[in-house]
Amino acid sequence: MSNAVLIQPDIAFTNQIIELGGEDVFKCMQCATCSAVCELSPAENPFPRKEVIWSQWGLKNRLLGDPDIWLCHNCGDCSARCPRGASPGTILSAIRRQAVWHYATPQFLGAWMNRAGFLPVLILIPAVLLLLALLVRDPLAALLGISSDHGPGMQYANLFPHWLLIGFFTSFLILSLVSVALGGLRFWRAVKRSDLLQTEQAPSKSLLSSFLTVVMDFLTHKRFGGCTVTATRKRAHLGIFYGFLALFLVSTWAVVLLYVLNPFMETPLPYPFSFWDPAKIIANLGALALVAGCLIAMVERIANTKTMGRSTEFDWLFLGILFLVGVTGLVTEGLRFAESVTAGYTVYFIHLILAFMLLIYLPFSKFSHAIYRTLAMTYAEQMGRRR
Amino acid sequence: MDQKKIAVYLCEGCEIGTSLDLDALAGVCGTYACKTHPCLCRSDGVRTLEDHIRDGVNTLVLGACSPRFKSEQFNLPGCLVERVNLREQVVWTHEANDEDTQMMAEDYLRMGIARAERTALPDPFTLDVEKTILIIGGGTSGMKAALESARAGFKAILVEKEAELGGWKRRFPVQFRHSPPYGGLAATNLNGDLKSVLDHPNIEVLTSTTVASIEGQPGQFDISLRTNGTTRVSRVGAVVQATGWKPYDASRIEHLSYGKSPDIVTNIEMEDLLNKPQLVRPSDGKPIRQIAFIQCAGSRDPNHLPYCSAVCCRVSIKQAIQLREKLPDTQTMIFYKDIRTPAQYEDLYRRAQELKGILFAKGEVAGVTPREDGRLRIEVDQSMLGEKILVDVDLVVLATGMVPRVSDGEVIRRQRDAQAVIDRGEKGVKLETAKATLEELKQLDLESVLNLNYRQGPDTPTLQHGFPDSHFICFPYESRRTGIYLAGCAKAPTDFEGAISDGTAAALKAIQSVELGSQGKAVHPRWDDMSFPEFSFQRCTQCKRCTEECPFGVLNEDEKGTPKPNPARCRRCGICLGACPERVISFKNYSIDIVSSMIKAVEIPDEFDEKPRILGLICENDAYPALDTAGILRRRFSTFIRFIPVRCLGSVNTIWIADALSRGFDGVLLVGCQSGDHYQCHFIKGSEIMGIRGKNVREKLTQLALEEERVRLEELTIADYNRLPEIINAFADEIEEIGLNPFKGF
Repeated sequence: MSNAVLIQPDIAFTNQIIELGGEDVFKCMQCATCSAVCELSPAENPFPRKEVIWSQWGLKNRLLGDPDIWLCHNCGDCSARCPRGASPGTILSAIRRQAVWHYATPQFLGAWMNRAGFLPVLILIPAVLLLLALLVRDPLAALLGISSDHGPGMQYANLFPHWLLIGFFTSFLILSLVSVALGGLRFWRAVKRSDLLQTEQAPSKSLLSSFLTVVMDFLTHKRFGGCTVTATRKRAHLGIFYGFLALFLVSTWAVVLLYVLNPFMETPLPYPFSFWDPAKIIANLGALALVAGCLIAMVERIANTKTMGRSTEFDWLFLGILFLVGVTGLVTEGLRFAESVTAGYTVYFIHLILAFMLLIYLPFSKFSHAIYRTLAMTYAEQMGRRR
Repeated sequence: MDQKKIAVYLCEGCEIGTSLDLDALAGVCGTYACKTHPCLCRSDGVRTLEDHIRDGVNTLVLGACSPRFKSEQFNLPGCLVERVNLREQVVWTHEANDEDTQMMAEDYLRMGIARAERTALPDPFTLDVEKTILIIGGGTSGMKAALESARAGFKAILVEKEAELGGWKRRFPVQFRHSPPYGGLAATNLNGDLKSVLDHPNIEVLTSTTVASIEGQPGQFDISLRTNGTTRVSRVGAVVQATGWKPYDASRIEHLSYGKSPDIVTNIEMEDLLNKPQLVRPSDGKPIRQIAFIQCAGSRDPNHLPYCSAVCCRVSIKQAIQLREKLPDTQTMIFYKDIRTPAQYEDLYRRAQELKGILFAKGEVAGVTPREDGRLRIEVDQSMLGEKILVDVDLVVLATGMVPRVSDGEVIRRQRDAQAVIDRGEKGVKLETAKATLEELKQLDLESVLNLNYRQGPDTPTLQHGFPDSHFICFPYESRRTGIYLAGCAKAPTDFEGAISDGTAAALKAIQSVELGSQGKAVHPRWDDMSFPEFSFQRCTQCKRCTEECPFGVLNEDEKGTPKPNPARCRRCGICLGACPERVISFKNYSIDIVSSMIKAVEIPDEFDEKPRILGLICENDAYPALDTAGILRRRFSTFIRFIPVRCLGSVNTIWIADALSRGFDGVLLVGCQSGDHYQCHFIKGSEIMGIRGKNVREKLTQLALEEERVRLEELTIADYNRLPEIINAFADEIEEIGLNPFKGF
């Protein structure tokens, strides 16, 4: 009886995976077509069959500490070829969703994210917080002795002065990053504990060099290109990835310009930036790429359920927010050029709510894949488990 | 038939006329009239033949195509038609207008004429048949067989050992559906089945009854039945054996610990548990949280049942679905090697998977151990979880397989013969052998089911895994006892639906055998054959070879050991004819003399011609059709060979081989069907028997200072038409290498 492992099936955990989208888990007849067709799966202990089987048994610890679920890019090759319609890709998505919930702090927010009916609350939180910020704008400005006046004409900064906006967002972003970092840490520990590699295998690469390889991979999306049935997914993700990156970098640049460089500049900052300002050009292109990427991804999800599997509210929430952030951003800009005051400020406010949702729900939403996937891929790179 | 009046007709069609010199060929006919026709099978050709018959011709030799073709056109009532295969075996497989091809055609025509001179139209052996079918076993297939016999206008006697009809259906009130939608479950309609059987005026139901004896032959089986100590005698025409199955004894599968805990049950016991109002742990009445089914419990295991019982997967899935309804919170696991839900029953498997909670886990169950906490620990090897795993459950269900409820007549006979040796007070080696036999068979349950009064034993012989079929793919429903047909799980494991269709089929087979018997015709595979073996008992030496070698147990014997034929049991394979060293057995149209004269009809060129001659004795069932196919495909083979079709390779009497070699043939090629475990011999063991006889022949050859390689036995299947020409050519080459027969010309 050497190495015999006592297995305690946990039907409750299986049911949770079923609830979170893995409803076809019991259709699996364990044939391993999925693992064989997956272009991303390593040769040793390949996924996703083992994850599907673990899900049937409800082996919670194995699944949550399994880096392989994050090596999957949900390209749908497995689901398209599954002879029993068990949608292994969707099951892996459900497990990832479960993992995100498990590692995120505070737990109650995670629960709200995963329960239908909580969407209004999730929207209400940033709306209320932003309204509160508006309420304290003038008293705070007076207290701090900062002028909220950004000059004549239609200027969104008149609604949310830069100092308020940046201060507000930055503080919540930091909270969010702390939470996601905690989640990442707990995940990393679980991975190290996981019994995926039963032998004490020494890493074949240093952590830093593995990380850099993974970053290079992100930049090129080389690994994503391995997917065969949904080539559009790589394009969509590239658009979203670079669009978001551009917007993030430009925003950071704007903050740096405003608060780091501006004091040293002789002429005051021409604000708002002109349409042809390089930063503005990058931002607009980024927004377009983001919106286009989201559009492709959404169409793919609606039109191609066979390979994509059923999309859950978890998928739609993140994708929807991203898309709407891009759209409202562009519309806000357009309305400013059109000098449509009421509509402009309204859309701007909505844009802020959405952007805020994106940031504060980062640890609980699909957005967190950025950290878990990075960690898992780095680990896999270190252990030589990547194809 | 009075004086034979023979005429020969040669067909010019299908390249025969352009490939052979027909005038020269007509020369071999001697005094017989020989004519040609451009196309004999055409209506004017057939009319010409009919005109001849009207003019008094009663035996026709037709040099045309293979006798396997145009059989309808050349079926000329009252006339003996001898077909000479000039098309497939001569002109389509050999060079046209060639000296050797011509010699071949001439030989075949001579052989055909020789046969026509000696053969006669059979005079059928008919019986006053009893149009009653005895059905043994009142389960699903037995009831169906009775009903179908009755509906076809026959009487049926349905015998059931238990006090009530119904069989296993009584234990399965709910079964998986046998009609769309296949994923569903349905109540077993036993009462409907019972009513239709009990209400039918042509069916006599005898419960608590066993068969005390069966003797006679199809059409006239005299049976005696025993009901609670009283015996009654009846006559029936044929028998359907639907004796069903029993579950494999689970306690013999030691590692599964059956019997060590009340919580380890078989699938049959699970059926009973499911039908109780409260489903709890049998040991202590506590609730069942986890339950495991273990598939292939003893099945597909060389130490237990080496075969798959075909239904256990579906039964376990059905029970798991019932459990989901009865105990929705109980977790069900099914440990399997392979899930086998054939055809549409895949829907049942899918349905179980869609219930989201039945865990199908692949792996080899290495053991079940009762634990002190009252639970059962299952050890699974090669699990999909990547290692050896242990799982604790509250109830284990062993999906055991089916064992046919039949006995092997040959084994019982061995036992009885051994007992008889002891009872006679024999001494020495005979006694020792008998004792050893009894010791060897001691472990077996040797109670006869049919109690046949047959010399070869009281039950049908069994084949693989103890099933009494005679090759269930080639001859479904047939046993090796003519007039006794098999239905349901006695034949092969099946579900209720399979048992029902078996019942119908076996009943129709039984009826067919009675009807054919009334016309003196053979049953499958020589259907319609009216010849039967005739014995010249004056020369019989009571050697018993025919009695022993007959695959169908046709022959009983008297006190002296003289065979007592039962022609209606006979399938006309001729194995007895091949076996008889005294050559006292013959058919009207197939005998030692007929084949010998055909052998002698071949002209053997003298040694200076360097034209060897090979005799090919070729089985009509698979090898001859394969040869025809080779002809249709225009495969070429040696012109040195002369084929004579035989009823079965087992019907080859070694005298023919001796005749051929002493006549100057240089080699003898015997081509028969595949023997062994996956045999395809239509008469079960013909080629096997020939293999044994062939050894003796080769020994004799060595004594005569002849090379034993001159006689070769080849086995093939009907699909080996590409291989057959290669076999012939390789043998011809080898014979040329060995050299000509030194007896040539003597």
